[in-house]
Amino acid sequence: MSAPMVLPESDEAIGAQRTPARPWQLVVWDDPVNLMSYVVRVFRTYFGYSQEVATRLMLSVHNEGHAVVATGPRETMEVHAQAMHDYGLWATVRQSDD
Amino acid sequence: MNDRIVLLPLARFEGRHLADLVDQFLALLTDTDIGPDADPGLRRLTPDAYPDDEEASAEFARATADDLLDRRAADARVVRAGLQRFVDGAGDDADPVDAVIADADLDAWLRTLTALRLVIASRLGIETDADHDRDDPRFGVYDWLGYRLEGLIEAAEARETPA
Repeated sequence: MSAPMVLPESDEAIGAQRTPARPWQLVVWDDPVNLMSYVVRVFRTYFGYSQEVATRLMLSVHNEGHAVVATGPRETMEVHAQAMHDYGLWATVRQSDD
Repeated sequence: MNDRIVLLPLARFEGRHLADLVDQFLALLTDTDIGPDADPGLRRLTPDAYPDDEEASAEFARATADDLLDRRAADARVVRAGLQRFVDGAGDDADPVDAVIADADLDAWLRTLTALRLVIASRLGIETDADHDRDDPRFGVYDWLGYRLEGLIEAAEARETPA
């Protein structure tokens, strides 16, 4: 990639110093109702995760109380959250810490 | 084309009982006087996506909650239609009858059985794993739905796994 051989305007220089946008996360929380086999199936069929990845994520939710199940733009995470709510899973959206 | 359907074996009385539960669920979903604000069961079906951000939370709920409950009702109607054979059929209560679930309807069944359990759990006050008393008869319906849901998941997965 080439860089433009011009000095940035002052407002662009300020913009360049801003921290890059932090990604958004879809978090699924543990609940006492949903079956483990069901949660694995939802992760597998909706996100296309392998059985192994889906099982690992389900166990994280179960053992640690929650897990980050997807990361990306806010709008995409909100679409995923609605889909998880469709399946009865307790999902929230948050911006990552880093 | 056996691979395009999943069978859920039930006794006739179970299918009728399930049809009754789905009718009650549809009544709850379509009663315009009851919304998530008034009913903990409906609230559990429309979770807060931004628990730490009141404004984003309200915005998300405004944009999604009605559609979410409409989709629950659409799912429930699919399941209710599939259960009509239990209601119509004459015969002994204990007769085994298969619920025949087309591939396209499988998610509607899984989501509806799950939603019924979530609503019942909210009525029973189940909030942690410890809030479950197998000796309390009120948990019978909840456990039965869980057992049948587990069976349906197993049947669906068995069909997808090459022998």
